[in-house]
Amino acid sequence: MRHLADMPRWGDDVTDFASPARFARRPRLKAAVLGRSDESDLSPITASNGGIGPAERSLVYTVTGRILDVSPHILVLQTARGEQRFPLAASAEAWRGGSISPAALRPGDHAIVRRSLPGGPVVDRIWAEVGRVTGTIIERAGPARLLVDEGPAKGRRIVMIAPEATRRIQVRFPRLEPGYLVDVIGLKHDGFLKALIPATSQPPYRAGHAPAPPMVSGHIPDPVSGTAVWHEPGEEPESLLGLAYPALDPETSCEHGAFMPSSYAGDRHAVDPHAAGPGCVRLPYLSVGSLLRLRNDCTERTRLVPVTSCGATARLFCDRCVTCGTSRKGRIADLTMATFVELGGALEVGCFNATMMIGG
Amino acid sequence: MLTALREVQIPLLAVLLLGGCTVKARRALSPRPGTAGMGPTGLFLLRLRRPVMIIMFVTELSLGLGLAATAGRIGDVSVRVPATIVRTATALFFLIAVGALNEMRQRRPDSGCGCFGELSDTPIGLRTIARSVLLAASAVATIGVPPLRMPSSSAEAELWLAVLAFELALIAFLSPELGEILVRLGYSEPCELRRLPVGRTMSALYSSSQWRKYAAQLSTAEPVDVWREGCWRFVVYPGIMRGRRVDIVFAVYLQARRPAIRAAVLDADTDEVLGWAEARKSAVI
Repeated sequence: MRHLADMPRWGDDVTDFASPARFARRPRLKAAVLGRSDESDLSPITASNGGIGPAERSLVYTVTGRILDVSPHILVLQTARGEQRFPLAASAEAWRGGSISPAALRPGDHAIVRRSLPGGPVVDRIWAEVGRVTGTIIERAGPARLLVDEGPAKGRRIVMIAPEATRRIQVRFPRLEPGYLVDVIGLKHDGFLKALIPATSQPPYRAGHAPAPPMVSGHIPDPVSGTAVWHEPGEEPESLLGLAYPALDPETSCEHGAFMPSSYAGDRHAVDPHAAGPGCVRLPYLSVGSLLRLRNDCTERTRLVPVTSCGATARLFCDRCVTCGTSRKGRIADLTMATFVELGGALEVGCFNATMMIGG
Repeated sequence: MLTALREVQIPLLAVLLLGGCTVKARRALSPRPGTAGMGPTGLFLLRLRRPVMIIMFVTELSLGLGLAATAGRIGDVSVRVPATIVRTATALFFLIAVGALNEMRQRRPDSGCGCFGELSDTPIGLRTIARSVLLAASAVATIGVPPLRMPSSSAEAELWLAVLAFELALIAFLSPELGEILVRLGYSEPCELRRLPVGRTMSALYSSSQWRKYAAQLSTAEPVDVWREGCWRFVVYPGIMRGRRVDIVFAVYLQARRPAIRAAVLDADTDEVLGWAEARKSAVI
């Protein structure tokens, strides 16, 4: 547990979603004191994508909600705005543990849907009850049950490997043993995730022993390329446009000493990602509220995305994404599900090759 | 000349073995055990890597100390037999190293030799193997060398130094670690990656002209927000200016000495910028 009483009152409580105004205001204050606009600094990456407007700071492609009804042509969702009806495109696809017809989705399922056009009514992609567990294996009980630590902010999850996916997952994760990393996508169930798809290939090293990144002379290169992945909302709002950044300022953010849970001290296999080095990509220290411009290199879709939480677990993975070509090594952003879909990512794929402009 | 060449190998090998032993010991005893998997130890199972690395550095320590101890005479006692044993063992050690490096090059082409710890992360190439061959040949050359003595003339001392300098240059040429050492000597961590305590930022701020300019307008002693972006740390204080509620934002560049400091005054309700000031030359974020 975090000890809020122990931290300075200006420290970043990264779960402070109830009053995000302080974080949202930071870019304006920064622009005022440095005498420049965030957006003008992002021109190198926006050149091919046109300008940006206020609308770009909210979700335009993505809707999340609970399925109330579904037919071959219409999807009815209970969203934060109330009941909404979405016509389904003729080519609409759905995922619920595998590709299915949209009509086969079940009322009551939690769904995240993608519109064909920004702000348009027609939906062409639906994911239902999709979940993901990323972290260090703490326990293995039998051939199919894993207890996985997702880091101090998210805690521990139970993963049950579906029998039909065992071979597929073991090919990519040959060491399903305590102390090694795992990253799987599957169906959410009460109290556990039914793992169906390996989200990456298992790093060959034990958790916390990622190779050191190459040294950098002068300033950090900007933009930075690498892999963007997604995470389940947890305590965040489902439709939050944001990302968990792997390198928050250790002095004022989630790496602050007062946040460290004591459970890490006594558990032999648990790895505190904050103590595991910088990972294999060097990223500048930022804070919650910092604005980044992130581009999905596969779809060439770009969005201005605020840092909304701590993503130190991403530093444990020194992997590459091969969604379109081979990305550079290392995870540079851990997006909310909504942001991942907004940028054109397919949740069941798990990653996309990304470029991040940090000047914002 | 040939004698000088053979004699100079003994201290040279002793120093190289003790140097290699020190960095390997640091790595093997590091709290990050994964680092023990570098170099030839990577050929072994994970659980055997640390013991193998410990065996390697204990062997190097023993050989280095053995070479030094048996280099001359101990009083009037000849140490010919122990010297021969140690030097033969050293030659054997480097011959095994040649074989291991060749094997590593075939099986783990992306791995470094680990000869000098983290400095040896460059993939094993012919240069690295040639260096081990050179050191094995040097060790073979020391077998049968009589106990070392001080040079009897300045000409002999100069010959010693010339041979030593030539061999050091040759070893440097064959060592990929040299480039890494030069990079590290000239390396300065970018400001974006530098950890700097908030206390240092606040101390720099309190001693700045910007602080003195706005201190009278601040309405609290503690900042209401502090955050960092890249090379800058931002500090926000609430204040009152001409009867208006304002926020005074300071930006402090993250460097240890004489950081650039900027300040801006914003209307607390509308975020309209009311004033802006800069101290010292700023830098990029």
